[in-house]
Amino acid sequence: MATVAVPQLSGYHRPAVLDWIMTVDHKRLGILYLYFTLFFFAVGGILALLVRTQLAVADNSFVGNDAYNQIFTMHASAMLFLFIIPVWAGFGNYLVPLQIGAADMAFPRINALSFWMLPPAGILMFAGFIVDGGAADGGWTAYSPLAQQTGVGMDMWIIAVIVLGMSSTIGAANFLVTMFRMRAPGMTMFRMPIFCWTMLVTALLQLLATPVLAAALVMLFIDRNYGGQFFDPNGGGNVVLWQNVFWFYSHPAVYIMILPGMGIVSEILPVFSRKPLFGYKAFVFATIGIGGLGFSVWAHHMFTTGSVLLPFFGFMTFMIGVPTGVKIFNWLGTLWGGSISFPTPMLFAIGFVSMFLIGGINGTYSAAVPVDFALHDTYFVVAHIHYVLFGGSVFAVFGGLYYWFPKIWGRQLNERLGKLHFVLMFVGFNVAFFPMHMLGLDGMPRRIAVYADSAGWEALNMLSTGGAFLIAVSMIPFLIAVVMAFMRPKDQPDDPWEANTLEWATTSPPPDYNFDSLPPVRSERPLFDARHGDEAH
Amino acid sequence: MLGMPLRRRLRLFVATVTAALLALLATGTASAIQPRGITDEAHLMNDLFWIVTIAGLVVFGLVGAALVYAMIRYRRQNDELPPQFHGGGKIEAAMVGVPVLIVIGLFTISMIILVQIDDKAQDEALTIDVTGFQFSWQFAYNLNDLGTNTDPNAEGTIAVIGTPANDPILYMPVDEPVEFLLKSNDVIHSFYVKDFLYKLDLIPGRVNSFTVTARETGDFSAQCAELCGTNHALMRFTVRVVERDEFDAWVAAEAARQLGDGALVSTSGTQGD
Repeated sequence: MATVAVPQLSGYHRPAVLDWIMTVDHKRLGILYLYFTLFFFAVGGILALLVRTQLAVADNSFVGNDAYNQIFTMHASAMLFLFIIPVWAGFGNYLVPLQIGAADMAFPRINALSFWMLPPAGILMFAGFIVDGGAADGGWTAYSPLAQQTGVGMDMWIIAVIVLGMSSTIGAANFLVTMFRMRAPGMTMFRMPIFCWTMLVTALLQLLATPVLAAALVMLFIDRNYGGQFFDPNGGGNVVLWQNVFWFYSHPAVYIMILPGMGIVSEILPVFSRKPLFGYKAFVFATIGIGGLGFSVWAHHMFTTGSVLLPFFGFMTFMIGVPTGVKIFNWLGTLWGGSISFPTPMLFAIGFVSMFLIGGINGTYSAAVPVDFALHDTYFVVAHIHYVLFGGSVFAVFGGLYYWFPKIWGRQLNERLGKLHFVLMFVGFNVAFFPMHMLGLDGMPRRIAVYADSAGWEALNMLSTGGAFLIAVSMIPFLIAVVMAFMRPKDQPDDPWEANTLEWATTSPPPDYNFDSLPPVRSERPLFDARHGDEAH
Repeated sequence: MLGMPLRRRLRLFVATVTAALLALLATGTASAIQPRGITDEAHLMNDLFWIVTIAGLVVFGLVGAALVYAMIRYRRQNDELPPQFHGGGKIEAAMVGVPVLIVIGLFTISMIILVQIDDKAQDEALTIDVTGFQFSWQFAYNLNDLGTNTDPNAEGTIAVIGTPANDPILYMPVDEPVEFLLKSNDVIHSFYVKDFLYKLDLIPGRVNSFTVTARETGDFSAQCAELCGTNHALMRFTVRVVERDEFDAWVAAEAARQLGDGALVSTSGTQGD
C-alpha cells in the first residue's frame, strides 16, 4: 500500500511572538508602535523625575553635574525621538488606512521596516549609559562645539537619531502614498478625516525636513571622528552653522510633534459635541499654513546668537500665531451650540485646547525679539515647550488612547479611573510647569544642575517637583484601567461613541482585511450620514 | 446680556469671573517676579513685556471665558441633535482677521523697541572685554578705553578672572553707556544678566557686542545661560554697578596690583589698596 504525502494546510501555527515580529499588518504595527513609544514615555518620565528630584532643593547633590547633563539630554531625546514623534506614527499606522477605508498601508513591508528600525536605535541611544564617558550629554540640541567634546555616547546618539530619522522619512513616504492613492470611493481629499489631514502635513514636513537633520548629524559625526571642520572656526568652519541646520529640521519637528495631536482633538471634539468640526477647510488650510510657515521660523531659536536677521524671523514667528489662532476658533466653534458630553477622551481633548492656548500665548513672548533676549534659555522657555508638548501633545495622546481603545483592543477603559487620571494629570501638569514661567522671569537658566540658595528659586522648584510626581501618580489609575480592561472579554460594538469616521464602520477590533463593506462616503462624516440620513443636513 | 434669561446670565458671569481671576492671578505673580531691570534698555524691554502680557491675558481671558461658557451652556441635556453648523464665510474671515491684527500690532511694537535698544555705542564708551571659558569668566578693561574718564595715553589691560568656586565680579559705572565685547575660545556660552533683561551668546570665531546704560547701583547676580559642559551651572558672576569715582578707584587699585605702580599715567582715583 503506497502512501501519498498530502500537503498540510492547517498543521503549522506560527507562535504568537513570531506572528508579531513578522507581521506587516498596519494595525499590528500600529500597536507595536504604541507599546514601544509608551515604554519610552515611561523611561523619559523616570528621567524627568530624576531631573526634578535634583532641582527640588538648592545646592543639591542627588546626582552629579555630569550625570545631570546626561539625564536631561536623554529625557528630551527619549521624549522627542522615541516617544512623541513615533507615537503619531503609531496612531497613524493604525488609523489612517481605516479612516480612509483602505485594507492596509501602501507599502506594508516598508511599514514593518520603519517600525523595526526603532528598537535598535532606542537601545543604541540608551546603551550610552554603559559606555565610557556616559550617554550623550550635550542637550538634545547637541550644539557644536560642545558636542565635539563628549564621549562615545555622543556618537551612539548621533547614529541612533540618524536611524530614527530614516524610519520617519520612509514612514512619511508611506503615509503620503497611502493617503493619495488608497482612499475609498467617494472620499475626496476634502472628505478625509481631519486626523488624516494632520498626518499628511506631518508626513510632508518629515519628508522635507528630516534629511536635513541627517545631513547635519553626518557633518557632526565627521567633525567628531575624522577631523572635519564644518563647525570649527579654526578650520574655516562656522559654529552657528550647526544651529541653522539643526533648527531648520527641529523647528518643523515641533509641528511634527503637535499637528497629529491637533488632528486627534479635532476628531474627538465633534463626536462629543455632536456637531461637525467648525470650519473644516479653514482647519485644513491652517494646518498647511503651519507646515509652510514652520520652515521659515527656525532662527527664532537663535535670537541671542547675534547672527540672525531679527525682523524677518520675528515677523514669521508672529505669523505662526495666525493659523494657530484659527485652530483655536475651530475648536471653540465646534463646542459652541453643541450638545456636549464629557467622557474621558473629551476631557483630555478640552485639556489639550486649554493648555495649548497657554502654550500659544506664552510662545508670543519669544516672538517679541527684545523680550526673548530676556527669556531665551530660561525656564520660561521650558514652560513653553511643555505647555505645547505635554499640555498639548501628551494630552492628545491620552485622549486618543481613551477614544480608540475600544476600537484597537475591543474593550472599554474604566470611566471613573479615566476621569481620575485626567484630573490628577491636569493638576499635576499645571503645578509642575506653571511655576517654571516665574522661575524663568526670575532668571533661572535652563539646563543647570544646581542653583544657589541665595538665588531664591527653591520654593517654586519644590512646587514644580511636587507637580512632576503628581503626574507620575496619575499614571497609576491609567495602568489599573488598562489591566482591568484586559481582564474583561472583548465586548465593544463597532461604534461605541456614535462617531463619524470609517474606522467605526467595522468590528472592534477590525479583522485583518479591515472592512467587509464600506458605507457610502458623501461627506467627511460618513457614519453620521448613515445614522441620521438626511435629517440633519 | 440684558435680554438673556437669568440662568444664562449667571453662567456668563461665572465664566467671566473665573477667567478674570485667573488673569489677575497670573498678572500678580508675573509682576511680583519679573525684574524691572536696571538699564535704559531693560526698561524698554520691560514695557514690551507688559504689552505682550496684557495682550496675552486679554486673549486668554476671552477664549478661556468662551470655553468655560460653552462647556456649561451647551452640555448635553437630551438626545436631540443640535443644529449641524459647519462654519461660514464671515466668521471664518474673522478667525483669520483677528489673529492677523494682534500679530501685526505686536510685531510692530517689538520692532520699534528692538531698534531703540539696538543703538550702537559711541566710540568713547567704556568697553569691557568679556571672555567666557569652561567654567568661568574673564572681564578685561583696556586702560585707554575707560569711558568718560579715560587717559588716552594710558597703556595696559587689567583683568578679573574667575573660577567655578570663586565667582568673578564685573565692575561697571552707573549712568554711562558701557559696551560689552563677548568672546569665547572653547564652546558657546551666554552672557546673561537677569537685571539687564538681556543675554547674548559668546561664540567661538566671532565677537558679539551690546551696549547698556545702567541706572541703579548695587550687586546683581548673573550666570552663563548656554549649556557649556559639566560645570555650566557654576559659571556665575556678579555685576557690581558703582558710582564713577568708585569705579575709577577700583581701576586704579587693580592697575597698581596687576601692572605695578605707575601703570596709570593719571587718574582721578586713589592708587594702591
